[in-house]
Amino acid sequence: MSETALRPSAGAVSPSRAPLPRRRSAYARRRGRSGLAFVTPFMIIFTLFMVAPLGYAIYQSLYTTKLIGGTRFSGFANYATVLQSGDFWNGVIRVIIFGGIQIPVMLAIAFFFATIFDLGIAKWGPVFRAVYFIPFAVPIVVSSLMWGFLLDPAYGPFNRFMNVIGFHGFNWLSSNLMLPSIIIIAIWEWTGYNSVILYTALKSVPRDVVEAAILDDTPLWKIILRIKLPLVRPAIVMLVFINTIGAMQLFIEPSILNNYAPGVVTATWTPVIDIYNTSIADGEYQLGAAMAVVLAFVVIAISVASLAFRRRREFR
Amino acid sequence: MSARRERKRRERLESIDAAIPVELYGLKRGTVSVLTACCALFALFILAPVAWVIINSTKTQANIFESFGFWFASPFEFFHTFANLFRDVDGDGTYSQWFLNTVLYSLVGGVGATVLAALGGYGFARFEFRGSKLFFGLIIAGLLVPITLVAVPLYLAYAKVHLINSIWGMILPSMVTPVGLYLMRTYVELSIPRELTDAARIDGASEVRIFFRIALPLMVPGLMTVLLLAVAGTWNNYILPLIIFSNNTLYPVTVGMGLWSQHAGNSGDANLYPLLVMGGLVTIVPMIALFALLQRYWRGGLLLGSVAN
Repeated sequence: MSETALRPSAGAVSPSRAPLPRRRSAYARRRGRSGLAFVTPFMIIFTLFMVAPLGYAIYQSLYTTKLIGGTRFSGFANYATVLQSGDFWNGVIRVIIFGGIQIPVMLAIAFFFATIFDLGIAKWGPVFRAVYFIPFAVPIVVSSLMWGFLLDPAYGPFNRFMNVIGFHGFNWLSSNLMLPSIIIIAIWEWTGYNSVILYTALKSVPRDVVEAAILDDTPLWKIILRIKLPLVRPAIVMLVFINTIGAMQLFIEPSILNNYAPGVVTATWTPVIDIYNTSIADGEYQLGAAMAVVLAFVVIAISVASLAFRRRREFR
Repeated sequence: MSARRERKRRERLESIDAAIPVELYGLKRGTVSVLTACCALFALFILAPVAWVIINSTKTQANIFESFGFWFASPFEFFHTFANLFRDVDGDGTYSQWFLNTVLYSLVGGVGATVLAALGGYGFARFEFRGSKLFFGLIIAGLLVPITLVAVPLYLAYAKVHLINSIWGMILPSMVTPVGLYLMRTYVELSIPRELTDAARIDGASEVRIFFRIALPLMVPGLMTVLLLAVAGTWNNYILPLIIFSNNTLYPVTVGMGLWSQHAGNSGDANLYPLLVMGGLVTIVPMIALFALLQRYWRGGLLLGSVAN
């Protein structure tokens, strides 16, 4: 991946391949080297801190350390353990449910407000836009802490509110309601950011398309759903992508909220909590590495599936 | 529809350049008020936790538990609690120290990420070289890799090369932003005309000179976006510092406050709850200010991420 490794092949013109139709000129070669020089710093850091750790994780996942006998190659034994672990898959299903509810609801809300801001059909649009973006500037640890205070079983104002309106003994952070509460928190955290991206995408829809529709007496809901929505679909696909990858890594919110309701979030509640506890707390990092690789495959599979879905839709 | 009405509409449309006037959408009366009310309701939902933090930063621990959450209660403890941020009240560490660490990691990591993304994005946008497609594909694949998955293997590798409890173990991975590079490449392709760089090249300017004199000034809005996203990303990071730091003087705010929240319930006399509330307030104010001040820069940049697919 380094510059020196590529230079000989890029520069050499072997006599046996003399009549090369696409033989690169000296100028093109020089430019190619400049391009390589520009991308090399990024590639070095990227390789050292992203590619190499991933490679190392895959390598580690093939070994097992035993108290007696030390570390030895164990093939896919760790993977067999992960694939058969009910706790791990329960965690995977939990984050899929989380993403499956949170992402569509949030995108619908974000699109609703982005449309309002884009059309200018509510007062003080710019003010609301700025307010909705505030949570993006709040670290997730801090927003989880703030929501923990609001939802706390003992003194949280939101529990008091539920008691006042007749739900006695209501607890937002009980084991049944923990996931819905986290969905609400995630909607609070991410709606503004998604809405700003959708808003900028909607703004880029050509004005004359909308004008023509207005002159044709097209009702507003049709302009929004039949003209604008299809034109911003690339932005929506990208947001589904980013949000899915984020949702599958759910970690901070449940770990912090657990401090307000001890015992609700188990050691295997989400896959990343499971990976963290297995590799750091229990010290079984080879098993943790295998879990990480399996989770990466789940994320990639879901992303590719959503891409395939997008392709198929486009034929119609 | 009568011809006269149509002509009137057409005139109205042509007379205004910026936005299409609301009247032309043919909305029922009151729609604007209803939608404004919807916006206000959601704004209330967004502002509730922020308001709670501001109000409760003035309270004692007892009042945080007992008084009504959305109104003030005496005594007014704001300055007393604020002063405690500069002391190690329960042995877990000092907030002001964590805050400085966070600023250091985010600034150095964010600036580094921006420099690397700017150079790399320009390189991928303007040059073809052997392996350029492969490298770029690899970086795009990096977008798919959950960052938390890199944290555990990084910890194992750090243990071998003595980067545990080193600030570089935190800063260097923060400089890897596949999203930033992708944004910069798109930005260069869309906003720097090829003719401009080609003309300079024909005039004999070196590639380095072209980059610094011609391309870089035009890349500023994109750079601001990448910088803000990278700073926010490092400011937010929790799992990596949680894993690699065991020395509490190196913690960023996120890990320190996570530790406090773990100990708050059984901290005895230390009264950690007011500190948690105040710490939250002090953490979010600079970021909100930064985003508000620089919003005209990052708005345009985010657009790129959304349309360039």
